[in-house]
Amino acid sequence: MDDVIVVDGLRKVFRTPFRRRRVEAVKGVTFSVRRGEIFGFLGPNGAGKTTTLKMLVGLIRPSAGRASLLGGDPGAIEVMSRVGFLPEQPYFYDYLKPTELMDIFGRIFGIPKAERRRRIDMLLDRVGLADSKNRILRKFSKGMLQRVGIAQALLNDPELVLLDEPMSGLDPVGRREIIDLIAELKSQGKTVFFSSHILADIERLCDRVVILHKGVVEHAGTIQELLASGDRKEILVSGSFPGDWARLPGIHGIDRMGPQVTRLLVESGFANDILRALLDARMEILQVADRRISLEELFVRTAGVGPVGAKEVTS
Amino acid sequence: MKDLLGIPRRIAAISRNTFIEAARNRAFVGLGIAAMGLVASSMAVSSLAIADQMARVLIDFGLFAISLLEVVIAVTMGVILVYKEVDKKTFYLVLSKPIRRSEVLAGKFFGLVGVLAIAVLLMTVAWVGSLILRSVPLKPDMPQALVLAWLQAVLITSVALFFSSFSSPILSGVFTLGVYLAGSSVPVLNDLLSLKKGALASSEAARFVAQTATAVLPDLSIFNVGKELILGIPISWGYVGAAGAYCLGWCLLFFGLACLIFERRDFA
Ligand SMILES: Nc1ncnc2c1ncn2[C@@H]1O[C@H](COP(=O)(O)OP(=O)(O)OP(=O)(O)O)[C@@H](O)[C@H]1O
Ligand SMILES: [Mg+2]
Repeated sequence: MDDVIVVDGLRKVFRTPFRRRRVEAVKGVTFSVRRGEIFGFLGPNGAGKTTTLKMLVGLIRPSAGRASLLGGDPGAIEVMSRVGFLPEQPYFYDYLKPTELMDIFGRIFGIPKAERRRRIDMLLDRVGLADSKNRILRKFSKGMLQRVGIAQALLNDPELVLLDEPMSGLDPVGRREIIDLIAELKSQGKTVFFSSHILADIERLCDRVVILHKGVVEHAGTIQELLASGDRKEILVSGSFPGDWARLPGIHGIDRMGPQVTRLLVESGFANDILRALLDARMEILQVADRRISLEELFVRTAGVGPVGAKEVTS
Repeated sequence: MKDLLGIPRRIAAISRNTFIEAARNRAFVGLGIAAMGLVASSMAVSSLAIADQMARVLIDFGLFAISLLEVVIAVTMGVILVYKEVDKKTFYLVLSKPIRRSEVLAGKFFGLVGVLAIAVLLMTVAWVGSLILRSVPLKPDMPQALVLAWLQAVLITSVALFFSSFSSPILSGVFTLGVYLAGSSVPVLNDLLSLKKGALASSEAARFVAQTATAVLPDLSIFNVGKELILGIPISWGYVGAAGAYCLGWCLLFFGLACLIFERRDFA
């Protein structure tokens, strides 16, 4: 398999120079992204997604570990000329018009003039800015700026596109347009790696995902795999169980519905064993149903409740 | 190394943007107006002077004003060159493009050097205009003096860039102005050092500071030729060339140090 992103034991410790404080934002993250897939990067606020993305494009140097992009080093000229990047909440030279901004970037990429013009027009139209191309960026709304950010990330027709929260700030139509755009990039054989908090979008688009939590990879795999690992079955039984329910392995919930009827929530992998035990105890199985977990449930279960972000410790 | 061809192209792209930014910046336009005001005030000053002193004041004060305003532009714009991009987070987009950090710095540096050249040209127009209005004969060596004023500002830009690669704009401004003032008085310090009496002769510490300053700071007095211009002492292009080489040497040093620091930074 052809891996376009390989992240191996990546770590980042931020140090505040004078207060002798340190924050370990990313704690040894390992994963890889294959060519042609749409890869989702999830995690609660402060999980370390943006920090990881910045290490991938060479804005931040890792404290330890390695990252490679398209077989080269993050930030290297040969690599970055084939990569597109949308930072979180992109900031622009607000004295420029979108066309001028894109023109400067096009010059850095070394795209010839005619081609540059053509692509700039095409991309600004594509993100819905056809009517505001020649307005100064200072006067753009948040969602309009986000669209400029997406357009500039595609200027060099990149093989690999890294997007930090691409849907943020967009209206429902804009969000839909970006979903279509990402799907279109995939159909062109490009690889897309993006972070998002909008789980429905991730579920709809992504081939594989990583869930990061407090700088650590908590889950990784295809969406089906992840959801299967959290899948439950609901068993409705009648009769009395001779013994302790809780002794049975894989039981997640016991609900007494009446004097005779009990509802059990069990881990799918253990369902057969539990059913056998119930039958052996001469109980009557009334109903067995799938209780599929949503990505949102999995996410909430991973992130839990409590403070977000990495802890600051005195070194 | 087909990448070598890309270096000037990428530097030019950044310079272009730096230049556009200055041209659209109200502060810079304001500075241009201030320059005009200074030239106008030099005319007012000259009208107070005795008739035969008028030409002297117009030339001396005019050149001094241009040279000082160039330094003011170099310092004020030089110290925010990097800071602003970090503060406004515009570097995220630029530094994630296929470009080296040193190329970005070079682009910003050359952009400001271009701005300084345009500023000198505009102020020269105003200066020459004021001389013609008062029928003061132009000096043949004025172009050399103006190029020297520009070179001094270029050198100061590299100093500002160096300081701003690791400290805040205000501190960088203070440091850069310090280098400008001390660098302008290198010959004075040397004179004082050669005296057998005075502050520098009596205090070991003061002597040490002065000696270090003259050794490690650029001698900016070589760029100031107001006296020569008035006295009609010829300023050869050979001299200007030597001053250019001197400027280049210091720029390379400060620029190199700025790159070393900039290369290690995290943009978090
Ligand atoms: N420059 C910095 N100095 C110190 N700590 C930092 C710095 N940048 C980020 N952090 C810390 O690192 C942790 C991870 O931050 P990061 O921005 O990567 O999170 P994220 O997953 O992108 O969150 P969000 O979903 O809110 O965008 C946080 O605890 C944050 O406070
Ligand atoms: Mg983030």
